[in-house]
Amino acid sequence: MVKEEKRRVRDRWLPRWGAAVLHPYGILCAICFVVVLVARAQEAAPTSRSVWDGVYTEEQAKRGEELYRKECASCHGDSLVGGGGAAPLTGGTFLSNWNGLTVGDLFDRIRKTMPQGSLGKLTKQQDADILAYLLSFNKFPAGKTELQKQVEFLREIRFEATKPEAK
Amino acid sequence: MFLRNTIGLVRFCVIGSVFAMLPIVVGAQWKAKDTEWASYGADLAATRYRPLDQINAANFSDLEIAWRIKTDNFGNRPEYKLEGTPLMVNGVLYATAGSRRAVIALDAVTGELLWVHGEHEGARGGAAPRQLSGRGLAYWSDGKEERILYVTPGYQLICLDAKTGMRVPGFGNKGAVDLKLNDDQEIFPDLTTGEIGIQSAPVVAKDTVIVGAAFREGMTPKSMRNNKGYVRGFDVRTGKRLWIFHTIPKKGEFGYDTWLNGSAEYTGNTGVWTQVTVDEELGLVYLPVESPTNDFYGGHRPGNNLFGETLVCVDLKTGQRKWHYQLVHHPMWDMDISSAPILADITVDGKPVKAVAQPSKQGFLYVFDRVTGKPVWPFEEKEVEVGTVPGEWYSPTQPIPSKPPAYSRNGVSLDDLVDFTPEINARAKAIASKYHLGPVYTPPSESKIDGTLGTLTVGTASGGTNWPGGSYDPETHIVYAFACNACAEPIGLVRAPKEVSDMNYIAGTAGEEVKILRGPGENAGADSPVPPKKRTGSGYVPLNVDGLPLLKPPYGTISAINLDKGEIVWQIAHGETPDVVRNYPALKGMNIPRTGQETYNIGTLVTKTLVIAGDGQITTTSDHPRGAMLRAYDKKTGKEVGAVYMPAPQSGSPMTYMVNGKQYIVVAVSGGAYSGEYIAYSLPSAE
Repeated sequence: MVKEEKRRVRDRWLPRWGAAVLHPYGILCAICFVVVLVARAQEAAPTSRSVWDGVYTEEQAKRGEELYRKECASCHGDSLVGGGGAAPLTGGTFLSNWNGLTVGDLFDRIRKTMPQGSLGKLTKQQDADILAYLLSFNKFPAGKTELQKQVEFLREIRFEATKPEAK
Repeated sequence: MFLRNTIGLVRFCVIGSVFAMLPIVVGAQWKAKDTEWASYGADLAATRYRPLDQINAANFSDLEIAWRIKTDNFGNRPEYKLEGTPLMVNGVLYATAGSRRAVIALDAVTGELLWVHGEHEGARGGAAPRQLSGRGLAYWSDGKEERILYVTPGYQLICLDAKTGMRVPGFGNKGAVDLKLNDDQEIFPDLTTGEIGIQSAPVVAKDTVIVGAAFREGMTPKSMRNNKGYVRGFDVRTGKRLWIFHTIPKKGEFGYDTWLNGSAEYTGNTGVWTQVTVDEELGLVYLPVESPTNDFYGGHRPGNNLFGETLVCVDLKTGQRKWHYQLVHHPMWDMDISSAPILADITVDGKPVKAVAQPSKQGFLYVFDRVTGKPVWPFEEKEVEVGTVPGEWYSPTQPIPSKPPAYSRNGVSLDDLVDFTPEINARAKAIASKYHLGPVYTPPSESKIDGTLGTLTVGTASGGTNWPGGSYDPETHIVYAFACNACAEPIGLVRAPKEVSDMNYIAGTAGEEVKILRGPGENAGADSPVPPKKRTGSGYVPLNVDGLPLLKPPYGTISAINLDKGEIVWQIAHGETPDVVRNYPALKGMNIPRTGQETYNIGTLVTKTLVIAGDGQITTTSDHPRGAMLRAYDKKTGKEVGAVYMPAPQSGSPMTYMVNGKQYIVVAVSGGAYSGEYIAYSLPSAE
């Protein structure tokens, strides 16, 4: 009975995954994918930006604030300090959680888990606007272009807690 | 039935090896070995101590990951707040995991998944006040049968066969007891949405399972009326209710008269949401009771409010009260009692004392004779400030232990403000000037745009020692406890508009929209948000200076407190200095000693020679890449003797065990971009 069940599990999964992963073309594909990724990463490096480079607009942050008050503030608070376990979205813990990652990682976390009670309620554009408000609240400067809603682009904006010294 | 049970999402059978390791029968009563971790706090005394020493000062930094398990798929979405401490008995590790609060059983050596159990509770789970994976579960055995008990988000006590993960049919109703029933109260408004639940682990002592209750975050309740958090004992074999303790006394019961104007009738909360401790030999249970309805305003419940914020000792067999001591009269600081009381057999002035030591948010370690309830060192009823919030009822005094001294900051004065540079200090003072300051038990105040925004407190809602509690070395009689030393909490009160709450005052900031605040793990869909209103000019000021904490370091500490003497033996800053401090331009070149971190949820583990705890925040330093460190300290001196890398902060307290001659340390990590994961460390095998 036990063995039966184990085999069923294997039968169900191995052919599909096995075929995709072990097939020679599959491997070739995977290698190509990695090569492309590496190339992209190298390409991106010189032009990459950080949250200090004006990556959202004031207008967008304003839209985000409206949304934040409606969708987020009941747990994270009007002042973004969190409370009772809702993560703070400002201050030391927030900055340490995201420092060294990208705006895309933060966006991804919001997309995956928020708003907690009604997951999937907000569009990518709305999440990007809320993110713009978080950046604005945390005193990262506004700029001339809006924060995009594609996570791939957002991943190229580094989240740096401390303002880099002028060169 | 409103529940749809899906048992055994995956069920592999536990093969051969486990049957070969059947529990050892000691008389009729099964007893855990000291190489095992059979209860949330290691044992029923909540020591978080195991006398293991294979992992020690000489080799701690050599630890490697033995196995790891991501909890993403134990639920319909990942969880970023994994707070569990697993159990380990007979070579099997049991834990709660994921947004489903699934129970998983793993091979303790390899981490292989043996079985999974999940309860799909539908709307009832979705409306639960305390969701996500919770803190853990309980194990029971009579030497033959082995059972696992846990409470679902929807407040059902589930009993599983530890070998298969199947519900035990003879327990309650097909393996489940509906905790919203048979509770000496009608859960309001109905069984699906009625606010009550729990996230902590049940405990089992002498065939009795003990379960408390938790509610939503209590800063901004919609009503002064709420369900009450009674504590119950159940028969572990049948699920039959054995006893109940009314944390808010019913009419005619002791303490009812500490609720003036009949306020015991409608006031709610006052549960036991954290861990319960049991002395099986004495047959006594120690209940750390939390705050009554509205954490910060008690105007609708005049009087001292027993058993709010009271340590209550009850009989294990009957639930009858033996003694109690109220730590905070008429609670209004959300001090709860947030962690397990710790049982300690100590020697004071040459005399043996069976003691119970209670760590707290307010940084006092309250030590009692656990048989009589008498403080080991006297508490003095000291006069405290009486506030001016209309309608509030103030206790003129609060009990202050004469020993040991407070082990974390519990009041704010100008001297506590960050002063790395005069400029930073000036900015901190400007922020603090908007608040009412004072020592411990300075009362909450009204938030006013043209006055102060509230009382700036520390050692209240998230200060000092929170739910992870302390740990205790029974050999040296020393308590080790982490404390947040800089978790500043502004407590301002605002008049609640009728459509928001029927209370006179709830927590808020002048100028901001008054609204109901929720905690994580609550279904926002359960009560629709109040529509946003135009702001009238908020008085809010952030409580940090460019991300630097407002208060001076150390931000977080571990203290070693000798219980024979009532003295702090050592105290160290715990946690790497945060990046924002290390990289702050104006601090470049300054020699700032390690600051520790302002996190509130760090638990410690004690072994034969070490105190072990992880960082609560992510840092990136020249010593380690972006991540957090699990640290080991020499328990005699507090000196750091080793550290090992974790990819994310410690979010659940570490535990340890030994199987097949090898010691393991397991810790839950999560937070920020990193979803929940249990990681097991052990020493590298010999070449």
